[in-house]
Amino acid sequence: MAEVTLTNIRKSYGNVDVIHGVDLDIEDGQFVVLVGPSGCGKSTLLRMVAGLETISSGEISIGRRVVNNLDPKDRDIAMVFQNYALYPHMTVATNMGFSLEHRGASKSGIAERVNWAAGILGLTPLLDRYPRQLSGGQRQRVAMGRAIVRSPQVFLFDEPLSNLDAKLRVVMRGEIKALHDKLKTTMIYVTHDQVEAMTMADKIVVLNGGKIEQSGTPLELYDHPANKFVAGFIGSPSMNFVSGKVQADGLVASGVTIPLPDRAQKYVGKDVTIGIRPEHLLVKDKGLAAQVLLVEPMGHETQITVQLGEASITGLFRERLSLMAGSGVEIGFHTRSIHLFSAQDGARLD
Amino acid sequence: MKTELSPRARTMIYGTMCVLLIPFVFPTWWMVTSSFKPVSEIFAFPPQLIPRSWDFTTYGQVFALQPFAKQYWNSAYIAAIVTVGTMGISSMAGYAFARIRFPFSNAIFMVVLLGLLIPSEVTIVPLFQLFLKLGMVNTHWPLILVPIFGAPSVFATFVMRQFFISLPAELEEAARVDGLSRFRIFTKIALPLARPALASVAIFTFLHSWNLYLEPIVFLSSADRFTLPQALTQFTDAYGGPMWNIQLAAATLTALPVLIVFIIAQKHFVEGLAHTGLKG
Repeated sequence: MAEVTLTNIRKSYGNVDVIHGVDLDIEDGQFVVLVGPSGCGKSTLLRMVAGLETISSGEISIGRRVVNNLDPKDRDIAMVFQNYALYPHMTVATNMGFSLEHRGASKSGIAERVNWAAGILGLTPLLDRYPRQLSGGQRQRVAMGRAIVRSPQVFLFDEPLSNLDAKLRVVMRGEIKALHDKLKTTMIYVTHDQVEAMTMADKIVVLNGGKIEQSGTPLELYDHPANKFVAGFIGSPSMNFVSGKVQADGLVASGVTIPLPDRAQKYVGKDVTIGIRPEHLLVKDKGLAAQVLLVEPMGHETQITVQLGEASITGLFRERLSLMAGSGVEIGFHTRSIHLFSAQDGARLD
Repeated sequence: MKTELSPRARTMIYGTMCVLLIPFVFPTWWMVTSSFKPVSEIFAFPPQLIPRSWDFTTYGQVFALQPFAKQYWNSAYIAAIVTVGTMGISSMAGYAFARIRFPFSNAIFMVVLLGLLIPSEVTIVPLFQLFLKLGMVNTHWPLILVPIFGAPSVFATFVMRQFFISLPAELEEAARVDGLSRFRIFTKIALPLARPALASVAIFTFLHSWNLYLEPIVFLSSADRFTLPQALTQFTDAYGGPMWNIQLAAATLTALPVLIVFIIAQKHFVEGLAHTGLKG
């Protein structure tokens, strides 16, 4: 186990800068998820920690040891790849014991570690099979087994669940989390799926355009997003945004006035973007008149999209509302839960 | 969606295939059956598809008139060395061109490929001069070294490169994290997975070496050093005319191992070429 520290990490391909000075401290035993849209640099950052990608400048240390110039094999890390990267010509047992074999472990030592890892991951009956004889979930578990078998200081996961179907993803999510609870090893996990990030992480790092937008616990990011990007990225369905001018009685935006919390008073006369989580939308009497655009019942909750002035707003309701597309509805908001962002740069205002 | 062919369409397709088969099967059939015929029967009209009388003595004469067993061995061991050597060089070169980033790699690969455009007839005289100076004329060295470093190896390098390009990069990265050096990644991961491509390289190279004709007649002059294609031309009568039935018996014996190898390995051969994007 070890802490990982990234100091002013930069990466350029020719004249194109893809990582712009990332600073990040990962505590010993922490489960950190790097999340962001495609092309934000999260996989590049992970690969630089692994040593599969060189850094243009900065410093990476694992367990207080600077590893900038070390080969992947000397960094004491293990990595789980998106496409599993299992060796097709080797059995599950050989795949799992391969790294130990090349580090000079004895046959009995290898067998012991492989059996230990197989026991943890439920792979014991599959040890003699080849990767082609396994399902996607089993292959994913073998890839994890290959990683845990030599007890590295840090585990790196590069979108490991993206090739699995939705149901299996939920199962494997739980398994990886349980594995972390059992091993207490530092894990860095890359995903573009914010649900994975929210459910698994001790700490989420939101990346955008090669920069860290915000890092913190899942609920910190959900409740206090540092800017409009993080607010829109974290949460599903994503946050609703309405831009307008703050007046004494609320936000005036394209013909509607949305009541604002008292803390908005100091922004009277300024252009502001407000953010409203879908679960903070209310259907109520004497509210703002809106028109229902879409009703999506999911059983345990219903997602309803309405047209409010020129804005399209999505709400999430536990109650089964009898609304139909095209019908009128009056809506309101949990005013205290409204987020305020600068209309210019999207930074959080309160 | 698969549609079931009507019996009529099926008959037409199989009939066409049988007709197309004739130009490929007939020469082999003619060679094998004629090797058992007396000379008079080979040129009889109408032609006899099956010999009226079977003459097995032709096969005995093949070995009596020439050191055929020695020549067989010459062809076999030269082809074996060339095949192994080419597999080794082409797999390493193909891997380097496909997976290792080095300056001008694509340009160098293009230059290597240009070697395929130069006919062996153009290079044979300078090569003869070279091997003469090296004291290797009338030895098997030119027949081993020229293919291993020449056009067959270039083609094999191309085949291997195309295969290694298709190998997922994540496999190599996983191996790097597992602690393997570049050479170990090549031997432990890339090469075992390249078996189909290696099989096609092996068959192609073996066939090329086995059938080599121009180089042996230029470089070799003693009968006991001849290879099989060259030996076939030596079955002549006192007037220099071909001894057809004996020559065809020798040709049958020459073609036999190639046919057997190809029939056994044709699946790998097709698979290997499929990986290269070539139609073969």
